[in-house]
Amino acid sequence: ETKWDMPTPYGDGNFHTKNIAAFAEDVSTATNGSLTIQIHSAGSLFKHPEIKNAVRKGLAPIGEVLVSRLANEDPIFEVDSVPFLATSYDAARKLYDASKPVLEKKLADQDLVLLFAVPWPPQGIYAKKELSSLDDLKGVKFRAYNASTEKIAQLAGAVPTQVEVPDIPTAFSTGRVDAMITSPSTGADTKAWDYLTHYHDTQAWLPKNMVIVNKAAFDALSDAEKQAVLDAAAKAEARGWEASKAETAEKTKVLADNGITIVEPSAALVEGFGKIGAQMVEEWKAAAGADGAAVIETFNK
Amino acid sequence: MRLLLNRLYAVAEILAASCLVAIALLVLAQVLGRLADGFLKLAGADPVGFLVPSLAEIAGFLLVGASFMALASTLRHAVHIRVSLAIANAPAGLRRLMETLVLLLGFGLVAYFTWFAAALAYDSYLYNEVSFGIIPIPLCIPQAVMALGLGVFALSLLDDLIVQLSGGTPSYVAAEAARGLEGVE
Amino acid sequence: MDISLVALLLGVVLLLGLTLGLWVAVALSACALVAMKLLVSAPSGPVLMTTVWGAANSWDLTALPMFIWMGEILFRSRISENMFTGLAPWMQNLPGRLLHVNILGCGIFAAVSGSSAATTATIGKMALPELMKRGYDEKLAIGTLAGSGTLGLLIPPSIILIVYGAATEQSIARLFIAGVLPGAMLCALFMGYVAIWALINKSKMPGADEPVPLLARIRATRSLFPVLLLIVGVIGSIYAGLASPTEAAAVGVLLSLGLSAWYGTLSRASFAEALIGATRTSCMIAFILAGAAMLTVAMGYTGIPRELAGWIGSLDLSPYALLAALTLFFIVLGCFLDGISVVVLTTSVILPMVQAAGLDLIWFGIYLVLVVEMSQITPPVGFNLFVLQAMTGRNIFQVARMALPFFLIMILAVALIVAYPGLALWLPETMLAN
Ligand code: NA
Ligand code: NA
Repeated sequence: ETKWDMPTPYGDGNFHTKNIAAFAEDVSTATNGSLTIQIHSAGSLFKHPEIKNAVRKGLAPIGEVLVSRLANEDPIFEVDSVPFLATSYDAARKLYDASKPVLEKKLADQDLVLLFAVPWPPQGIYAKKELSSLDDLKGVKFRAYNASTEKIAQLAGAVPTQVEVPDIPTAFSTGRVDAMITSPSTGADTKAWDYLTHYHDTQAWLPKNMVIVNKAAFDALSDAEKQAVLDAAAKAEARGWEASKAETAEKTKVLADNGITIVEPSAALVEGFGKIGAQMVEEWKAAAGADGAAVIETFNK
Repeated sequence: MRLLLNRLYAVAEILAASCLVAIALLVLAQVLGRLADGFLKLAGADPVGFLVPSLAEIAGFLLVGASFMALASTLRHAVHIRVSLAIANAPAGLRRLMETLVLLLGFGLVAYFTWFAAALAYDSYLYNEVSFGIIPIPLCIPQAVMALGLGVFALSLLDDLIVQLSGGTPSYVAAEAARGLEGVE
Repeated sequence: MDISLVALLLGVVLLLGLTLGLWVAVALSACALVAMKLLVSAPSGPVLMTTVWGAANSWDLTALPMFIWMGEILFRSRISENMFTGLAPWMQNLPGRLLHVNILGCGIFAAVSGSSAATTATIGKMALPELMKRGYDEKLAIGTLAGSGTLGLLIPPSIILIVYGAATEQSIARLFIAGVLPGAMLCALFMGYVAIWALINKSKMPGADEPVPLLARIRATRSLFPVLLLIVGVIGSIYAGLASPTEAAAVGVLLSLGLSAWYGTLSRASFAEALIGATRTSCMIAFILAGAAMLTVAMGYTGIPRELAGWIGSLDLSPYALLAALTLFFIVLGCFLDGISVVVLTTSVILPMVQAAGLDLIWFGIYLVLVVEMSQITPPVGFNLFVLQAMTGRNIFQVARMALPFFLIMILAVALIVAYPGLALWLPETMLAN
């Protein structure tokens, strides 16, 4: 009998965590309990920044990580977060398929096996006013949490501002930040209506969470167990993508029901972001080298 | 040798204190930047948007420096907390035995953790681990500082263990006694 | 091995280590290592050091040394002496007189600081020497500090509420607002106890000062101005959008240095002394936090808190019985683990029970913080006890004894918010009603 401890970053109510709970259940059922997975949600075993390395070193055999958290290690991990490259579930799926071989290769370099990846709902812009074109972002304090979001803010003429996640409500209430880009999930889960008014459905990108497993731990399983894990992973991936779509609709409705104005981006705003996106795709390709260019080529086919 | 060791503990503590000063300076730079933007806005000018990149991460790393580099000196000034009820009331012979055991266990554990802290830093170096924010900072740097601080701490425990075994009084016991004489502040 | 037997064994290991005279952090790490080696197949050394790294390199934690530094600077200026001189004539007729400054001071400081250790350390450093000088009862002075220092967690901002809000997807803004009234209530309860104690123990109170005429009182009040400036400056920097609650601590350091210069007490020597004092105190706390983090991760792997909580769930208790059982469970767990760890390790198991019992999750967050606050003053592992031991030279059992009445008052406060859930829920529902 094998028991896997599995650190995950988000709380039990999050749709990623729920999907993983179903995955763990499937594995346990399919192996008749010879492999069980104990989920440690909300960073209760390892915090988000430590999870990837904990799995790599075998401290935890399996874990969940936001793919683009590893962007500073290698630009390839940022592919799903290049703004305005893949802006729908279909495009995100195509991009995932195009990037999967190189993602798997980069993870294999660290003795990690990619089991499955599930996208967050598309990223939209939250603000305290309606943005009808890029001009409305001039001088607006825009949340930047990594190099890429800082770049978006700069290109849009906004003022990049660093705000840590738990500080977001206070930062909006006290005027340290005026706008941020994130998913309807995060907005609804943090009750964004308590501190801002508008959500712009820009569908800038669909970042993914991935479930990775330590290669040695995986290899130590029996063939039947391996197959059970892979089958459950394939099921979880399909289920997760559907859950993500449902989540988008549901959480956008929650935002609206609580008085947030849902804004369909104006043509001017779309055009402005289109230009920013085109520039950032080029920059990403330059940074990601041959691997990156190959991914984009497959994606554009 | 005594002089050299004392100097080592003091230098480590000064480095720790410098980390605290650096945290304060970085945060204040960010706050003053916002203040300046506030004034510019009042004057109708465009904000500068001054930003200390990766402030939260860098401050966190500096805190590691502040916490770990001060371990040895904090021990020697008897600021680390322990429950001295039993040891203070034990007869002299038993007391010596207990103190020796405390130092042996303390040194053993801290040396063990030093080893794994160094391994952590070395692994981050091998795998080029970097931080997540705007500036990618190699994690091996602050992790090496953590290992170094633990190493100096382990050395200071060994130092006191040797003093104890050769019949002397460990630094922190002397400091506890000195503070006892002064009474409660 | 039976899980409760293992828990017992680990408790014994920790107590043995502490009794032997091991430093608290070392005893905690020893206990963690024993648990890992006995029960967990994952490699102990790398697990523990990865955890220590994750716990030590924390942005939120940077506020702690900054606030402690602020306290050290103020302690070396004349500001606290002046504050007490200004307040004394006004408190003359209130039973308990200046002892209330501890409670109110902690209550106000809690509005800036999210942690109870920072609150206790900063206010204690300023108030305790003054109270001793004026002949107040040491036991009560230390007890009030230990108790009201925990307000740092209940009155927003609060690190624990942030952790709870993130784990349960509750609005942090709502949790913060919900903590205000219970925080004020706890303040009032503490002050009521001090007043009653002072009426009963007249002989233990210092003699009353000469009555001061109104005009002189108002003149003396001017000496409160610098303290007011400091409070307004630090809290104001947050609400003016200049600083996050974490950053406000550094603003506090700058303003304290300014005030110290104004009083003429700022010199190279006093600057260095304050800085070194802050370095050592925060190192002491960080070291214990590292030890606590090791024990927490070991507990996460062994699953002991999870299984104990699950056992409570299996009893199928009525809501009130469930709350009583949980309170007892948190108090026992809180003796050995720090408050945040207790929340982190048990929410996953406890939340479904709480939801099944039909309890509001915002309300439960406040209940949880109140219960976890108690863990700050229960031996052998209580952070406020450690801070006060370092400050006063009394050992933690003596400090815990002094804090006991305040522990009991917190139990009363828990009973009150269970009986009147509106204490926690009325404010957020009113303020954030759409
Ligand atoms: Na607080
Ligand atoms: Na405790």
